[in-house]
Amino acid sequence: MSTSQDLPGIIQAKLSSGEAAITVHEASLMQGWVRASRILALVEHENECALFIFISSRMPPEVFTDLAIERVIPVDADFKCEIDAGEQSVDVYVNISSRKLKLLFEMIPGLKTNNFVSEIMRSMEALSKRRGPPPEFQWLHKYSGSSNRNSADCVASSLDTSDDDAFKASKTEAEKMLDILDSPDIVVPRQSIAQGATPIAARESVIRHQMSMKEDDYTFTQTLRMFIGTWNVNGLPPSSSLTPWLASDLEPPDIYAIGFQELDLSKEAFLFNDTPREEEWRKAVMAGLHPGGKYRQVALVRLVGMMLILLVEEKHVKHVRNAAFETVGTGIMGKMGNKGGVAIRVEIHNTSICFVNSHLAAHVEEYERRNQDYHDICSRLSFSKFAPVKCIKDHDQIYWLGDLNYRITEVEINTVRDLINQNYFPALIQYDQLHRQRSQNNVFEGYHEGAITFKPTYKYDPGTDDWDSSEKNRAPAWCDRVLWRGDGIEQKEYRSHPILKTSDHKPVSALFDSQVRVIDVVKYRKVHEEVMKKLDKLENEFLPQVTVDNTEIIFDIVRYLEPQSQELIIANTGQVPVQFEFIKKLDDSKCCKEWLNIDPPVSFIMPGEKCDVKLEVFVDKKSAFKLNSGVDKLYDILVLHLEGGKDIFITVTGNYERSCFGSSLEALVHVSVPVREIPIGKLVELETTKEAPGGMEPYPIPKEIWFLVDHLYRHGLKKQNLFLLPGLHSELLAIRNWLDNGSSEPLPGSLHSIAEALLLLLDSTSEPIVPFNLQSVCLGASSNYLQCKQIVVQLPEYRKNVFLYLCFFLQELLSHANENGLDAKTLATVFGGIFLRDSPRPSARANSTVDRKKANFVYHFLVNDLSDYVVSKALHLGPSS
Amino acid sequence: MSVGPYNYSYIFKYIIIGDMGVGKSCLLHQFTEKKFMSDCPHTIGVEFGTRIIEVSGQKIKLQIWDTAGQERFRAVTRSYYRGAAGALMVYDITRRSTYNHLSSWLTDTRNLTNPSTVIFLIGNKCDLNAARDVTYEEAKQFADENGLMFVEASAKSGENVEEAFLETAKKIYQSIQDGRLDLNAAESGVQHKPSQPGGRNTLVNDQTASKDSCSC
Ligand SMILES: Nc1nc2c(ncn2[C@@H]2O[C@H](COP(=O)(O)OP(=O)(O)OP(=O)(O)O)[C@@H](O)[C@H]2O)c(=O)[nH]1
Ligand SMILES: [Mg+2]
Repeated sequence: MSTSQDLPGIIQAKLSSGEAAITVHEASLMQGWVRASRILALVEHENECALFIFISSRMPPEVFTDLAIERVIPVDADFKCEIDAGEQSVDVYVNISSRKLKLLFEMIPGLKTNNFVSEIMRSMEALSKRRGPPPEFQWLHKYSGSSNRNSADCVASSLDTSDDDAFKASKTEAEKMLDILDSPDIVVPRQSIAQGATPIAARESVIRHQMSMKEDDYTFTQTLRMFIGTWNVNGLPPSSSLTPWLASDLEPPDIYAIGFQELDLSKEAFLFNDTPREEEWRKAVMAGLHPGGKYRQVALVRLVGMMLILLVEEKHVKHVRNAAFETVGTGIMGKMGNKGGVAIRVEIHNTSICFVNSHLAAHVEEYERRNQDYHDICSRLSFSKFAPVKCIKDHDQIYWLGDLNYRITEVEINTVRDLINQNYFPALIQYDQLHRQRSQNNVFEGYHEGAITFKPTYKYDPGTDDWDSSEKNRAPAWCDRVLWRGDGIEQKEYRSHPILKTSDHKPVSALFDSQVRVIDVVKYRKVHEEVMKKLDKLENEFLPQVTVDNTEIIFDIVRYLEPQSQELIIANTGQVPVQFEFIKKLDDSKCCKEWLNIDPPVSFIMPGEKCDVKLEVFVDKKSAFKLNSGVDKLYDILVLHLEGGKDIFITVTGNYERSCFGSSLEALVHVSVPVREIPIGKLVELETTKEAPGGMEPYPIPKEIWFLVDHLYRHGLKKQNLFLLPGLHSELLAIRNWLDNGSSEPLPGSLHSIAEALLLLLDSTSEPIVPFNLQSVCLGASSNYLQCKQIVVQLPEYRKNVFLYLCFFLQELLSHANENGLDAKTLATVFGGIFLRDSPRPSARANSTVDRKKANFVYHFLVNDLSDYVVSKALHLGPSS
Repeated sequence: MSVGPYNYSYIFKYIIIGDMGVGKSCLLHQFTEKKFMSDCPHTIGVEFGTRIIEVSGQKIKLQIWDTAGQERFRAVTRSYYRGAAGALMVYDITRRSTYNHLSSWLTDTRNLTNPSTVIFLIGNKCDLNAARDVTYEEAKQFADENGLMFVEASAKSGENVEEAFLETAKKIYQSIQDGRLDLNAAESGVQHKPSQPGGRNTLVNDQTASKDSCSC
């Protein structure tokens, strides 16, 4: 993945005016097991942020029209972003979630990812610090087709419809896709993979994501009865049994969360957070619990006057894990604990639950401070022992209780009392500050509260059921409340307990039937096993797969210098793009023998597509000798390797038709018949032993050379540009056949073809006429004829013969220079390269000084009298035997 | 919710070797897919399969290379032995010749792998007891003499297939625990970190091979 320079610009072009892309990043979205490229952008509009997810028709996108908005997620109170970096994983996994939507992105670690995630975190922080009404995300309505839910609905739905329905109604394409991917018979759409999605390895984060998506399959719900109680005790010690409050129901609850406020109003408690009341009230609670259950205290937390006790019925205790508590003071200087909140969180079975007890700012007119206290508690209270830290909102269920201190205002106190006396609470609730603030979305967003059917719980003359009769004559208020948030929670009771008269407040309790998710261990194992199995299966399915039309390529007869080719069709029959390569075998330096050429040797095939590979056999001087001498055969096994997958062996075979080309001079002088007429294997034997079959007297020079030279001598002395113009390929092949097969017909081909055939023949022998090991001596001697002569005299017999024979012939040619226009320098250059052929080592590079020295060497023998050399009679040119 | 670690902590490389037709590919298929292939074509090359297993609470990913058994590929398949932590050597209990060739397969394995490579002998097709050509006892004796682990298995019925793959892994894991297998050795066939399969460019072991592609 490469980030295009102008990516932010392209994204910006896709947005409407007033919307600014704060940060842009490429990431892979995990769709089931498959990752797909996406572009993420954090977009801001008038202090509201949203995460945009784009699909691009190409990566990286080049113009904004390449982009389509897949989804828009508002950064609201439900938005979560968590980093999940496994210890060993190479990639960073970022979980983005909003309500039930859970997306997992894989990002490449590094500065860019860090910056991107910190920007998101910053926008979430800004949200939590935000004053005034929560964002409405009006500007996202135009994207609502792609937004998972529009924000206005979101608020409405959280109040009256279940979140589930709202969620299902707006399932996006991507979610449907996820559903498909998660169905048991997973078929990964070829297209999505072709578009750059690739399978992934077993990574913990991905498996965790998969398991959390499948939670329903291995959990069942169990209903727990929750008793949530709150009482502002006005600094007084317990004066009567709490049974009427805590044990007023028939059935014993499973869990008690009991909160107190103003436990102790003394200076000591305020300054040193130390009070005997804690133990007094705790004992009172323990004594007042429902006699039908046995309860164990799981946690107790207190900050000055705010105390919260969590009690769990004994039979459930073993399913309670990871208990933790925290406090936040919002009093004077934003930290003293006379106001604020305390919280306990636990996991019961597979459900995380947070209980918050808060005492918000007092005074009738201070509702905005109360709102702010609420927001401060939300943003400042975090359970730091977890990594990443957990906040209140990071829980499946939240119960918020306490003296929230909201009052009934903007109505005559007498009207209030009248309405209370008539028990006409629906009318009165309209004047409740909390009700108003909640409907304006200023506080407790996403929380529910049951209908209030009890009298205001404040303010009474202590010890009585009479409204405050003090000078202040305060209006009654529903200060003490219980709210909740989360799924599977049903309120059964919401009431006050006026019978308890210790305080100027009455205690309140709420009873819930709450569903917690219980892991069915057997099913869990099964689902987990399935996930692992699917992973195995996918990994095997995602292995590259191809078929080849033929694994045995047979070339019939292969002749010297005659190329032949066959096609191999490689079809990608798998699910993923395939990169193939013909790889070399152990100890080999190349992927195939030198007589074979593979085109292309490496390539890429998309699923469903094919690639034609051309296999060409071409035997030239490099390989001919090995084939003639039996060192090598036309047989090779090619290893076709699929990147990340299997290997396929392709066998290539052919019959090489042996030829005088590519033989050694020493072998050829021992062959009196055309090469093709000697039995198979004989040439091989000759090449290894260099001895005549049946004791035949060897020729002084190979007869093939003689045939060619003799023809030129008879017919070509006057030919212009002989050895300088090329022959025809077809004639060369005909000449080769004539030499190898023997014929009573005259030698075919033009003089130029015959001349070239001679050069090719000399050039194809296993060793040049001057052996490789003498080359440097020759080059050193090239300026001195006598030294050169010395070397030639000492050449092996047949080499010397051929050398001199050709020099005689060339001198003869030069004697006709008038007619044929040849000159000694040119011929010396042509033949110098052949007599003193370089060894095939790749290091030997063409070099003009060397070439000049080779020419010099030969030149001496073209211009000096050669009659003093002792040579066989048969070497004389002209008509002979 | 809490979930344990799912990551596999080791990768073991296995090779499956033995004469053609003994059922190597079927064994691999049975192990990875839990299915039997009744007419499986000859392997022309080297097939690749993976599965994650658990040994002593550790997740281990097996990367299994199923080689061609045909004699003519022998020279090429030799390049795949290197770096194998486990070698499953298979013969067919209904064909004596495949058993007779074991010593030659064993020689290759010993020469081309390292001393800690676990060699597991499998007498396949034990569902065809009526056509048996090699007795359990003599094979067991061969295995004992050569210090090999041994079972008779059937890729058809699935009998002992899991066991062979898992026992091999257990033995390898044991070697790691005992310190007999040096994880840092280039050719131990064990990787202690998850990684994608493949990544090879030549048949030569990764670390030493040059990445030259075909230049012919
Ligand atoms: N009855 C029976 N038949 C089997 C069993 N295993 C394999 N076969 C059959 O034996 C034949 C050869 O099996 P393969 O798995 O292709 O053999 P291989 O060892 O991979 O052969 P190559 O790839 O040529 O090396 C197939 O037709 C299988 O159906 C077995 O356990 N029982
Ligand atoms: Mg096979």
